[in-house]
Amino acid sequence: MLRLLSILAVIGYVVCAIPINSNLVNKNVDRIIDLNSQLVKVTASITLENTGKDPVSNVLIFMEPDAQGALAFISAQDALKEDLKLEPIKVDGINDAYDVKLRQPLNQGRTAGITVEYVYTDALQPYPNSISQKDRQLVRYFGNHYFYSPYKTVKQTTTVMLNSRDIESYTKLKPVSQQDTTITYGPYNNIESLTVDQLIVHYENNAPFLTVTRIERLIEISHWGNIAVQENTEIYHSGAKLKGPFSRYDYQRDSSSSHHSIKAYHTVLPAAAHSIYYRDSNGNISTSQVRPRKDWIELELRPRFPLFGGWKSSYTLGYSVPSYQYLFKTNNNQYVLKMRLLDHVFDDMHVNELETSIVLPVGVKNVQLKTPYPVQRLDDEVTYKYLDNLGRMIIKLRKENLVEQHIQDLEITYDWQSVLLLHEPILLSLALYALFVFVIIYVRLDFSIHKPDHSKTQ
Amino acid sequence: MADFDSMTRYVSPVNPAIFPHLTFVLLGIGIFFTAWFFVYEVTSTKLSRDIKKELLLSLVASIFSGFGILFLLLTVGIYV
Repeated sequence: MLRLLSILAVIGYVVCAIPINSNLVNKNVDRIIDLNSQLVKVTASITLENTGKDPVSNVLIFMEPDAQGALAFISAQDALKEDLKLEPIKVDGINDAYDVKLRQPLNQGRTAGITVEYVYTDALQPYPNSISQKDRQLVRYFGNHYFYSPYKTVKQTTTVMLNSRDIESYTKLKPVSQQDTTITYGPYNNIESLTVDQLIVHYENNAPFLTVTRIERLIEISHWGNIAVQENTEIYHSGAKLKGPFSRYDYQRDSSSSHHSIKAYHTVLPAAAHSIYYRDSNGNISTSQVRPRKDWIELELRPRFPLFGGWKSSYTLGYSVPSYQYLFKTNNNQYVLKMRLLDHVFDDMHVNELETSIVLPVGVKNVQLKTPYPVQRLDDEVTYKYLDNLGRMIIKLRKENLVEQHIQDLEITYDWQSVLLLHEPILLSLALYALFVFVIIYVRLDFSIHKPDHSKTQ
Repeated sequence: MADFDSMTRYVSPVNPAIFPHLTFVLLGIGIFFTAWFFVYEVTSTKLSRDIKKELLLSLVASIFSGFGILFLLLTVGIYV
């Protein structure tokens, strides 16, 4: 049955993927490629026009088949900034293809605007790929001069935004102009569908190329009014590798801010966070600072050593938040935890692998999970925490390749009896009572080898 | 699934601000009864011992100490 369903699903994919409506035309495309950070963020504002007779309600979005890096996030919005539904579809020769459902069908001769936003990770390649301590970090971006689309594009312009004026080279497909830190390509007119013409920008990028190779996020609920969060993070400098030795002397003398090594970075915690701790595998590193702001807490973290390309570090960060921020209760003993699946690690972050574990209270029943985007659910586990003889259920979730846009709430609903709060104190009292009973019995036992004095006198 | 309008934010049944005071009071009473129990055990003789009094004293001591230790844990930040 399952196989039949999957076959049907595949057929369904193929059927809905094949017809590319040639009547649909991209009347105007404004594309902004943001290369300021380690990520490639593309925003394409598309004006669609229906030149055919039949109303159109679906739009296909294709990604270049040989694009560098991995697509981490994609979203589509209509002209009113409302999110449109994106559905991945399978198309031969194209890795990432999406079907966007328009809110209203597009009638003959009408136009509609949609904005597609997507983020690529690992797309910028350091070139040269190893540099010495004093060198600048140069990276190359490989893209497409034209907006890759299954439809014909009438007019398009592309703006490439960089974070430095030092551009080694860029492809010059006329008309093209460079002003300060932006390169503008176009307007190009009447480009056929699925046209690829390689765009290469080779420029200086000293933004931190910091990849979180793995983050383990542990959320522990206590119905005594607290939620404890702990994050074990492994980070890796994914920029140009360090060639030659590291000189601490040169490093301390060099005060310029534009440097490819990473001294410190900033992370953001919820405003109500307290009892914050930070340590790495061999103890606390005292170069961390907490600055409370109005709506959040800013935490500056310094790894034990500056990070150069190819270097790694890891640390543990934990904090507590009061339960009323994230835990909700309905009338019939049902509770809802609404909390971030992934939280801010640093700006423009790139997380390779996330594993979120949620430790539920003792004796939960009827657990339901709702995630903001598809994640892999690992097998549930049971753990034993303090004063626990029954075990607590852990829900484990895993996802790969995440960026800032993935900081969204997950919802866990469960049934729980509030009487179970008394489980821990009763356990403690019983243990103590057993001790007392042992004493009561012990004083009644007689281990002496001679008769006590008072029995002799009797 | 979740309709947040019909829900209330969950707060602890005991205000966390009074955890330290509860610890002092409960653990104080618990230690008092524990001390009484042990003093009674070592001072009474085989003839003067009363099993009912012993069990009652130890029960009161263990209940108060149990809750006291729990709030002590909560006060220091071990949320069980």
